[in-house]
Amino acid sequence: MLRYWQRRFKTGILTEKPEFDARMKELRKRLKKGIAKHFAGSLAIRMVDSGSCNACEAECNALSNPYYDLERLGIRFVASPRHADVMLLSGVLTFNMLPHVLDAWEQIPEPKWCITLGDCPAMQAPFTRTFAIQAPAAEHLPVAHHIPGCPPSPNTIIEGLLEFLETLQNGKQGTGN
Amino acid sequence: MEKGGSGMENSRKRLIARYAVDRGEHFEIVTRYDTETTRERADRQEPRAPSLMPRYPAANWFERKIADDFGIRFEGAYDFRPLLHHERWPVGNHPMRKDFDVHRVLEFSEYRPYKYEAVGGDGVFEVAVGPIHAGIIEPGHFHFSQAGEEMLHQEVRHFYKYRGIEKMLEGKSLAEAAPIVARISGNESVATQIALARISAQVEKKDLSEALQARWGILLELERIAHHWTDLGFIPNDAGFGAALAFASARAEETRRQLRDLTGHRFAFDALMREPRPWDREELIRWCRHMSQEAKWFEEWITDIPSLWDRMDTTGILTSGNALRYGCVGVVARASSVELDVRSEEPFYRERGFEPKQESSGDVAARFKVRLMELKHSLELIETFAKEASSEGFAFTETGEGAFESFVESSLGELYMAIELVGGKISRFFVRDPSFINWQALHLMMPGNIIADFPLINKSCDLSYAGNDL
Repeated sequence: MLRYWQRRFKTGILTEKPEFDARMKELRKRLKKGIAKHFAGSLAIRMVDSGSCNACEAECNALSNPYYDLERLGIRFVASPRHADVMLLSGVLTFNMLPHVLDAWEQIPEPKWCITLGDCPAMQAPFTRTFAIQAPAAEHLPVAHHIPGCPPSPNTIIEGLLEFLETLQNGKQGTGN
Repeated sequence: MEKGGSGMENSRKRLIARYAVDRGEHFEIVTRYDTETTRERADRQEPRAPSLMPRYPAANWFERKIADDFGIRFEGAYDFRPLLHHERWPVGNHPMRKDFDVHRVLEFSEYRPYKYEAVGGDGVFEVAVGPIHAGIIEPGHFHFSQAGEEMLHQEVRHFYKYRGIEKMLEGKSLAEAAPIVARISGNESVATQIALARISAQVEKKDLSEALQARWGILLELERIAHHWTDLGFIPNDAGFGAALAFASARAEETRRQLRDLTGHRFAFDALMREPRPWDREELIRWCRHMSQEAKWFEEWITDIPSLWDRMDTTGILTSGNALRYGCVGVVARASSVELDVRSEEPFYRERGFEPKQESSGDVAARFKVRLMELKHSLELIETFAKEASSEGFAFTETGEGAFESFVESSLGELYMAIELVGGKISRFFVRDPSFINWQALHLMMPGNIIADFPLINKSCDLSYAGNDL
């Protein structure tokens, strides 16, 4: 392990985009009341894949790699919908997943928001609608914000989440229900 | 065309795929073995066919899928449960029949419980996991029968991501289908695009230039490297060794950026048909050499962590016999002494020094080592390919008539694609993801292991849900 720490010391910090930190800091200041009220100081995301190609999931996993280090902004992915403020929904909402997606949504305590991730849930990916596809998601869930892309890059996802928080601050968004 | 992988100790055929086609008057069931393709007829009024399940255990999902898609009954089968059609599917709808409209709106029907495979007995209990898992993972269901911590049996149940892609592509030309095909599975986009492009080239009776094959080879090996780095991080992470993930995920990120620089997209979506971007040969070669150094450093470091190998050694063993019986492919097969890699059969790869990598212990450790060896070899291959690669583009055809097939070694294993074209339009699209076979063999690795090792075993196999479910 000594080898690892030597290397760690030599490499330093890989994390990019310090401007995200500054933006979050500013946002926190302005949002102090709102964040404290809604999110107890940090944003907890439950990612739900409703029939994606797995690229959106790969990019969300990439958010934890040293180049992006999303958690430093106080935004984290949680294991249960019951721990979440936000459902981040990817995929085309398949016939087989829709009931489970709605179950997960119900399990998220109020206040809650649904953010769609990638072109699939908005039915803008090249896929055509079939008997097995129930997208667009907005027909089934109160979508508060959309992050476009096929897939959105990790930086686009961070941008999208910050934008969502900013819309809250501007008072444009109510809660899901 | 003969395919490898039968193995000397087992002279029977390897089952690659089994699917059906609606011929109007009747249904045709096509079975692709490594040595031959057979075709059977099933009557339209009362469609039946003899089951291969008793002889080929991996025929299970193929036949249950055909039963759901076409309403064909397999006689002599031991498993008649629906596969794609879940609890609320309206019974009697068989979407791959030609008279089923792709846009038909299905109503959710009454909930009909699925009967999971479960082991009974005193003190034996069941653990149900999924479809929505704790991490950022694709949806699927794992059903365990437990004696305390020890797993007695596990059933994999999938097709939550079933999007109806086979049906969606009917009536489209190869060119129209390409953007959808590139997005069947984000894990294997390059491989799937190449499979389609090879079919397109066969249609037009075009030889692919070596320079073009070199360019595609670079992208295919980069996709493999991105994938293997991700796994080399996540496997130790599932054994509680997070530092490996921190290191390997950074290398995976650097590989995605390399793909982006070469194709304009981090997953190389639509890369084959896009105008290639200007690229610097020497820069790519330098990148490979640097990445090789990183891999060497990682190997020296990770080999020296005994507590990690304690978790990986002898965990989740797939015997060579079982791998052959199920017809396993990819890293999963090669870690169990099965010599099977599509690249071994491609003159382009062979002539450039390609050597398949193998291990024999069939455990998590073996699959980990095969991935690391392959990653290093892929970097050497890219260096070679970079010297020859061109910036040629490729256009998918709008025409074609007849039946075509192709094989590609994706990062997950042998990918098989079969397409029938009528008047330039797809009349039947079939693709068998490597995971479709390997998922079925996963349960063989569980008995004798504790449930806490399931994530480790599962990750070491690295299987796709989207590619499997279609």
